[in-house]
Amino acid sequence: MPTTPLLSVTGLTAAVDEKEILHNIDLTVAPGETHVLMGPNGAGKSTLGHVIMGDPVYTQTAGTITFDGEDVTELSPDKRSRAGLFLSFQAPVEIPGVPLSSFLRATLAARPDRALKGKEFRRRVKELCAELDMDPSYLNRELGVGFSGGEKKKVEMLQLLLLQPKLAILDETDSGLDVDALSVVSRGMDLYRKTCDGSLIIITHNTRILEHVDVDRVHVMVQGRMVREDNASLIPWIDENGFESFEQGAEDAADADGQASGAGALDGIDAGDLSAVVER
Amino acid sequence: MDALTIRNASAMPAPTWGWLKMNNAEVAIPAGLAPAGAVDVDAPQELFDNARPFEVAVAEMQERVDAARGEAADDRACLRAAKTGGTHADADGDLGDLDVPALSRYQERACREEAEGDIARAFETGMGHDARSYLNFLAGEPVALGTTEGERARAVVRVEGEERAAAAVALDVVAAPDSELDLVIELDGTDDFGDADAAALIGSELRVFAGARSRVNVTVYVCALPATVVLDDEGYVLDEGARLTVRHVVLGGGTTYTGLAADLRADGARADIDTSYLATGTESRDFAYTVRHRGRKTVSNILANGVLAGTSKKVLRGTIDLVHGCKGSEGTERETVLIASEGVDNKTVPTILCDEDDVAGNHGATIGHVRPDQLFYMRSRGVSPEAAEALFLTAKLEDAALTAPTEGARAAVARLAERIAPDFDIDEADEEEAA
Repeated sequence: MPTTPLLSVTGLTAAVDEKEILHNIDLTVAPGETHVLMGPNGAGKSTLGHVIMGDPVYTQTAGTITFDGEDVTELSPDKRSRAGLFLSFQAPVEIPGVPLSSFLRATLAARPDRALKGKEFRRRVKELCAELDMDPSYLNRELGVGFSGGEKKKVEMLQLLLLQPKLAILDETDSGLDVDALSVVSRGMDLYRKTCDGSLIIITHNTRILEHVDVDRVHVMVQGRMVREDNASLIPWIDENGFESFEQGAEDAADADGQASGAGALDGIDAGDLSAVVER
Repeated sequence: MDALTIRNASAMPAPTWGWLKMNNAEVAIPAGLAPAGAVDVDAPQELFDNARPFEVAVAEMQERVDAARGEAADDRACLRAAKTGGTHADADGDLGDLDVPALSRYQERACREEAEGDIARAFETGMGHDARSYLNFLAGEPVALGTTEGERARAVVRVEGEERAAAAVALDVVAAPDSELDLVIELDGTDDFGDADAAALIGSELRVFAGARSRVNVTVYVCALPATVVLDDEGYVLDEGARLTVRHVVLGGGTTYTGLAADLRADGARADIDTSYLATGTESRDFAYTVRHRGRKTVSNILANGVLAGTSKKVLRGTIDLVHGCKGSEGTERETVLIASEGVDNKTVPTILCDEDDVAGNHGATIGHVRPDQLFYMRSRGVSPEAAEALFLTAKLEDAALTAPTEGARAAVARLAERIAPDFDIDEADEEEAA
């Protein structure tokens, strides 16, 4: 019997400043599955993650996003989060004036089923800090302010494990990390899978982070299009051959779209423009 | 008591355009307030026993300053102008000394003070003479505290408001050379206050003489109720190498006024002022800071960080005055304000006055709303825009609770949080960990 998908993205098209940057994306993730979203710089991977999360920077112009049986297309980001979606940021923001502990309390307070008070909160957060080799003194520091890249990613992992979402989109969580920090992030992903049995979409263009992950499906994006979906065997192939062959396919698809519509979706945007717009 | 208005309170030393309505404050004292409320001074007996009059400490310093200055004449034109009142034609049309410049009212006063070199006459508090007189009248006999040389001591002063009452304390502190004094002042409305919406007033009038190489650390926590007027007026004189650290935490109170003036009279004196404030609803915050660098190699830092929500108002006037003769001195003022909701009225006036070379005066202000990327980040973790606004308030209160110098201050923050921040969740264990 086929499993009901946890996430179903159908015909998703999105624009920024009236320029279309995601074209007719389809993506389906079943409960408990781990998917990998790969592609060269500027392919639209991060944008897709942000659009699924409801980032108001982007305008969804077509398609639907169904999550856990509910059409979330019109839901605000906070409601999507409370429904069980999580996006780990490639570059987590800094919020001066808000200690990390206060922020964590607020994220839990928004979820009555997961609210932890006083001692329970402290115990749980300390446990997670220990799991992630994170100094608990960071809890009293302003969120992200003065944190190194690795520390910011650890904080993202801490929130993932604290909030236990049904689906986590990890946007290049591995980028810019040294070996030790990478190992902590891998441990965090592993813990999440074991403790929550949640689904994962790992956005990366580096196959190293995937060496210790059981991947169910691999998706390749180029120029705002989903150009290939396959099983985990695609990862070593990409590691060997890169994305060049997919890029030609995307150009062909763009040409076909242009001929079909008479006015190409990418008209007015060259590859350089797209990189600047899509890569956050 | 009848309603009273204190005009020209917390005035900037050098006014700016009047239409900006920032030059000073008008303090409205509600009518019908009876002198009442509780004032409690918790300090070791030695601090009372060793107290010396503030005026005596200043006079002793004056003798040393005069002796060091000697008889060397200062014949600068601006001082001549201050002494003579500028260039005026006499009855015969004689203009006299044409080399003296025309001075503004501010310049004339500054030059006269400089020529006199009189520490007592130049003494000022942040809220000004009239507010000081009112608070002294309300408080009655000042409480005098003093350290002995090399001593380290601590005092906690608590002023609790009551409905339809006015309460204030007047404190004179003289820190002996090489001593260290921690002074905590709590201006609070408690559970015993009565009707929380009833008018009330609480205040503190503080004069501090910091002796040579002494360290004076003053922390003021203001957690009053929403209809309470709070007046916190402070004036400091710092001797050679003295170091002053002031922390103002102003979280509650319908209308609050915080004034501070520091005279870095002798070489190497230093004042660090750290202000944290929060205003919600229709509350109003008024801060007036003036630091006069008179000694050489003196240092001051005025750092303020606040959150404004609802339709609250705030004015911060910060003046660093680098007076002639303060060579090698540096003054800095910076403010960061987060506007958590539309409709707030935020004004900041940083002023650097300078009559000396080889000095540095720095100022900067960061004023902003929550950025869209910050808001999206918070929303992506389930925090709605309304909850995000509340989070900034809660975070400010949690930080104040975690760094509270006394159990009383922490309890006051917790009581305030109960009213305005339902998600506040700090207890003693958190504090211990933070410590």
